[in-house]
Amino acid sequence: MKLALLLGITLCFLLVACGSKDAANNSQSSTKFTQYYIQGERLYLQHCSNCHQKNGKGLGLVYPPLDSSDYMDQNLPAVICLIKNGSQGEITVNGKIYNQKMPGVPNLTPLEIAEISTYIYNTWSHKAGLIDVKQTEQILVACTKEMKE
Amino acid sequence: MKERIEIIRSKGLLIIIAAIALLSCSQKIEKPLPVFGEREVINGDTLFHTIAPFEFINQDSAIVNNATFKGKIYIADFFFTSCRTICPIMKTQMLRVYDSLKNDPEVLILSHTIDPEYDTVALLKDFAQRLGVSSNKWHFVTGVQDSIYKIAQTSYFATAMEDNSEPDGFIHSGAFLLIDKEQRIRGKYDGTVEAEVNLLIQDVRKLEREYAGKKSAQ
Ligand code: HEC
Repeated sequence: MKLALLLGITLCFLLVACGSKDAANNSQSSTKFTQYYIQGERLYLQHCSNCHQKNGKGLGLVYPPLDSSDYMDQNLPAVICLIKNGSQGEITVNGKIYNQKMPGVPNLTPLEIAEISTYIYNTWSHKAGLIDVKQTEQILVACTKEMKE
Repeated sequence: MKERIEIIRSKGLLIIIAAIALLSCSQKIEKPLPVFGEREVINGDTLFHTIAPFEFINQDSAIVNNATFKGKIYIADFFFTSCRTICPIMKTQMLRVYDSLKNDPEVLILSHTIDPEYDTVALLKDFAQRLGVSSNKWHFVTGVQDSIYKIAQTSYFATAMEDNSEPDGFIHSGAFLLIDKEQRIRGKYDGTVEAEVNLLIQDVRKLEREYAGKKSAQ
C-alpha cells in the first residue's frame, strides 16, 4: 500500500518535471496554443455548444457527439469545411447514423476556424495539438472548390 | 415558592411543545403553486384562465386535443426542428424532464412546432425517434400555423411568430409551461436555464402532492 503511494508520488513528480521541460522547450508554440485554445473555447460556446453541448456529448441521435468521435479523428479537413459551410445528409459517427442539417458559420475567419478546431481537437478525449491558421487556410481553399462543383 | 417555579416550568414546557407542534404542522402544509392568468369571480366561484380547445396531429399521425390531457398534468413548449439557437438547448433540457417522469403515468409532454411547413409528421416522428422518446409520453405536434401561434399567444402566454430579421426566421420564447389537470397554467420556466428546469421538475412533484392531498381529503 505504502509502496504504491510512493510509486504514485514519484510518477507524479516525473510527469510534472517532464511536462515543464517540454513546455520550456517550446514555450513559444505553447503560448500560441493557449491563445488559440482560449479563443476557441469562447467561439465554441458562442456557435456550437447549443447543439453539441458544453460537454461535447451532443443530443440523442439528433446532434452527434464531439467528445469522442471517430468521424473527427479521421476527417480533419471535412470538419474544418463543415464549420464554415455546414453539413447536410447522412453522416456516421461512432457507428451511428445522423441526418440533420447543421448550419455553417460562413462569416468565421480562417483564424477563428483554426481556434475552434484547436479547441475541439484538444478537449474531452482529443489531444491533436495545435491546428494553425496556415493549415486551416489551405484546407478551406480546397473545400470551397469542392462545394462549388 | 418552589411550587410556583414548577408551574412556570411546566407552562414553559407546554409552550415549547405547542410551538414545535405548530411548526411541524406548518411545514407539512405546502404552499400551493400559483395559478397564472386572469381570473373572474362569478357567484362566488373563481374562474381561472385555462387552455383553449385545440386539435393538432402528433408524430404518429394521431389526433391530440384537450381530451388527450384529461386528468393529466402536462408540460408544453414551442420549438422547431431546424432551429439552431435556443431549441437545441430546450430539447436537451426537456429530455431531462422526460427522463425524470418517463415512468410517471400522470404527466405528459407536449411540444408544438411553430414551423409546420417544414416540420411534417414524418420529420417529427424521425426527430422523436432520434431523441429516443416514446410517443405516448411526449407528443410532438403540428397543425395549422395560425392556430399554433394563436394558442401560444393567448392560451400559453408564449411568444411564437415568423420574423425574417431573426437568424432562423422565427421569434419564440424558450418557456416551458406547467399545466395542471384542470388545464390551468401553474408555472412558467425558462427552458434554456438548467436551474429553472430543476425547479420545474420539483414543481411537477409538488403539483402531484397537491392532487394526492385533495384525494385523501375527500
Ligand atoms: C444547429 C445545431 C448545430 C450547431 C449550432 C453546430 N452543429 Fe455541428 N452538427 C450538427 C448536426 C445536426 C451534425 C450532423 C450533420 C449531418 O447530419 O450531416 C453536426 C456535425 C458536426 C461534426 C461532425 C460529426 C461529429 O460528431 O464528429 C462536427 C465535428 C461538428 N458538427 C462540429 C461543430 C462545430 C465546431 C460547431 C460550431 C462552429 C457546430 N458543429 C455547430 C448540429 C450543429
